[in-house]
Amino acid sequence: MAMAIDNAFEVDFSSYSSITTTTTTTTDDDPACTWNDWGSPVVDWDSLSSERDEFQDLIESMMDDGTELELARVGHETSNSVSTDTMVAHQETNGEDFKGLRLVHLLMAAAEALTGANKSRELARVILVRLKELVSPNDGTNMERLAAYFTEALQGLLEGSGGGHGKHLITSGPQHHRNEHHQTDMLAAFQLLQDMSPYVKFGHFTANQAILEAVTHDRRIHIVDFDIMEGIQWASLMQALASRKDGPPTPHLRITALSRGGSGRSSIGTIQETGRRLVAFAASIGQPFSFHQCRLDSDETFRPSAVKLVRGEALVINCMLHLPHFSYRAPDSVASLLSGAKTLNPRLVTLVEEEIGPIGDGGFVGRFMDSLHHYSAVYDSLEAGFPMQSRARALVERVFLGPQIAGSLARIYRTQGEEESCPWSKWLAAVGFKPVNISFANHCQAKLLLGLFNDGYRVEELANNRLILGWKSRRLLSASLWTSPDTEL
Amino acid sequence: MFQPKKPSTMNSHDRSMCVQGDSGLVLTTDPKPRLRWTVELHERFVDAVTQLGGPDKATPKTIMRVMGVKGLTLYHLKSHLQKFRLGKQPHKEFNDHSIKEASALDLQRNAASSSGMMARSMNEMQMEVQRRLHEQLEVQRHLQLRIEAQGKYMQSILEKACQTLAGENLAAGGYKGIGNQDMGAMKDFGPLNFPPFQDLNIYGGDQLDLQHNMDRPSLDGFMPNNDNICLGKKRPSPYGGSGKSPLMWSDELRLQDLGTAPSCLGPQDDPFKTDIAPPSIDINTDLDSISEIYEAKPVLSSDGMGEKKFEASPKLERPPSRRAAVQTERMNPMINSGSVAQGRNSPFG
Repeated sequence: MAMAIDNAFEVDFSSYSSITTTTTTTTDDDPACTWNDWGSPVVDWDSLSSERDEFQDLIESMMDDGTELELARVGHETSNSVSTDTMVAHQETNGEDFKGLRLVHLLMAAAEALTGANKSRELARVILVRLKELVSPNDGTNMERLAAYFTEALQGLLEGSGGGHGKHLITSGPQHHRNEHHQTDMLAAFQLLQDMSPYVKFGHFTANQAILEAVTHDRRIHIVDFDIMEGIQWASLMQALASRKDGPPTPHLRITALSRGGSGRSSIGTIQETGRRLVAFAASIGQPFSFHQCRLDSDETFRPSAVKLVRGEALVINCMLHLPHFSYRAPDSVASLLSGAKTLNPRLVTLVEEEIGPIGDGGFVGRFMDSLHHYSAVYDSLEAGFPMQSRARALVERVFLGPQIAGSLARIYRTQGEEESCPWSKWLAAVGFKPVNISFANHCQAKLLLGLFNDGYRVEELANNRLILGWKSRRLLSASLWTSPDTEL
Repeated sequence: MFQPKKPSTMNSHDRSMCVQGDSGLVLTTDPKPRLRWTVELHERFVDAVTQLGGPDKATPKTIMRVMGVKGLTLYHLKSHLQKFRLGKQPHKEFNDHSIKEASALDLQRNAASSSGMMARSMNEMQMEVQRRLHEQLEVQRHLQLRIEAQGKYMQSILEKACQTLAGENLAAGGYKGIGNQDMGAMKDFGPLNFPPFQDLNIYGGDQLDLQHNMDRPSLDGFMPNNDNICLGKKRPSPYGGSGKSPLMWSDELRLQDLGTAPSCLGPQDDPFKTDIAPPSIDINTDLDSISEIYEAKPVLSSDGMGEKKFEASPKLERPPSRRAAVQTERMNPMINSGSVAQGRNSPFG
């Protein structure tokens, strides 16, 4: 810090730049609450996620140590910043950490107030007001920005939880958000997302490598893509196919993209645009290619009969869900695809989905906290990618993650306690699909890919056919491989 | 400085440093300089000995004359000749440098002959390891190509969006200048995809000269329209202030929810912003978020990374982030507010 003092009268930032080695390496001392490297609180959710009663107790104990005092004052006074400040004053060294933890507590309290045994919408409202004072979607620490989106999501639940109308509001929320965003906003955010994190590439490349391995000796390949988005996944597959050394050279690739109604990112128009782009790209690298689209029903149900099949082609079903830039897809729609796939006898099914924590019986609050944990890991990982560019990250958060958070919470709220979200990989196994091993090359590729980003990422092989991408101790994304029960392996 | 264990044996565990003299002799730098019998030197020695009729016929004096190597003394030759006469096994005489130079295969052969079975499985293991390494290299190479392909594709998307945007802006009228500059911003994101694969060491060197590599395929291959107005000039150092401050002006045109005010470009004397070509992406986005990527560089460069990189590659971010992230991130809002206070009228400072 001496250097900082010397430079005190120079430009502000120089004093910060000189601090390069004093990273607060916090270790996991506390059993229940640890701090990750970036100073965000990471609560040990496992120890909290058992029963609801524990949540009650925890909240009450937190309320006792002063939070309650705050909340009470909120009800009576307009500004209680004095009390907050005095509380904070005692915690100067852990100022940031304390603030982060307080936000977590408040969020949990709000969630509990919204849905707990002692439901109180009024209390929830009060807590959310307080939260809104403390958070901002554009400023501050990861926790503060994250809490902003969770607060907003909870607010939406609070206001919308009035029956059918609320349901409509909730499900259309994320969409509404998304359409608001200027297209270039989304592109910029997408580009940034790809540069600061490996999520997209991990999903795409793991699937592509598996596809390549599955079709080594085939001349014709047909891929049915559930959610093609911009089609970027296929650029690298085409490159690999066009230059493959073993097997018949330059096999013909056919892609059928599923399109949906409306005007969103998978409307017919957008899909056609994507198709044109892919055709142009394929031509540029000399890859024989054709593009089709297949319209989903109005309720987004997939009908296998709508897909044109050609004899002798190797069929692959590609199902990317939950990548950070993806829109939400209703479970029924996904189920219709996967069960429909079974009748089509695909050579390979590639599935990428989010990896969520164990579904205890914590009800809404438990799932809420798990979601908070999940997204705080994502935020931290993005920060590791672009540590100084909080505004760039704020853009990605605003365009992609915020809507995902809102949608995710809405779904949890709607299905409180229900075992709705069983991972699709489990579903596939239950329905009869057979696992396909992740190859050494695939695993190796994933490790190399992560190495390009940050040491905090890790890849695990949870099962023979499943690769998990995680940030620090939190598993985030799962890529799994399957084949039709009737295919001869 | 380590003392050599046995002055007479120059074995591979010797730790003293070596310097190479003018004559090409490799001498150690410990108190008693000893001569390192490198492969070349030994070969010359053997040649000389052979010329003179064999180790028994040759004498240190004659060898010295025949070899004609400056700095070689009788003392050196005497001891070496003695060993040569005794062992006649050149490999033993070599020090660690020579061993490195001697083919690994020779060593393996020696080992194999002496410990048969074990060596064979060692060989197998070695082959297995080599096979894995080879496969890893293959994967690495493929990964690089795939990332490139994705980048190229992304490029086409951005270009298309550029054009659309330019069209829109021109139509909107009065924003002509902005249209181009927005395209510039979009284009600028092209290379953002590529830096990561540099770390795959495809360019071979141990020390990746990142700057140098940045000029190569990433810009050439994937920015076909280098003279496109979008790019401005091809920049070896994108920070070479073309002073694209006008890019920031587009801020004025749309108030965005982030509320960044127009005058953010005002302070060209802002230490962050000098010499940075701010690639604003879009009039609606918070340009600052993007320019921040490049803002950060001056701050980080002080820790010796020296990367005045335009493209904020994830890898390039890494080392600084590991060290400084906690502190810098916490301070980041303050840094922002610092610069904000200087020039912008941002509501959140």
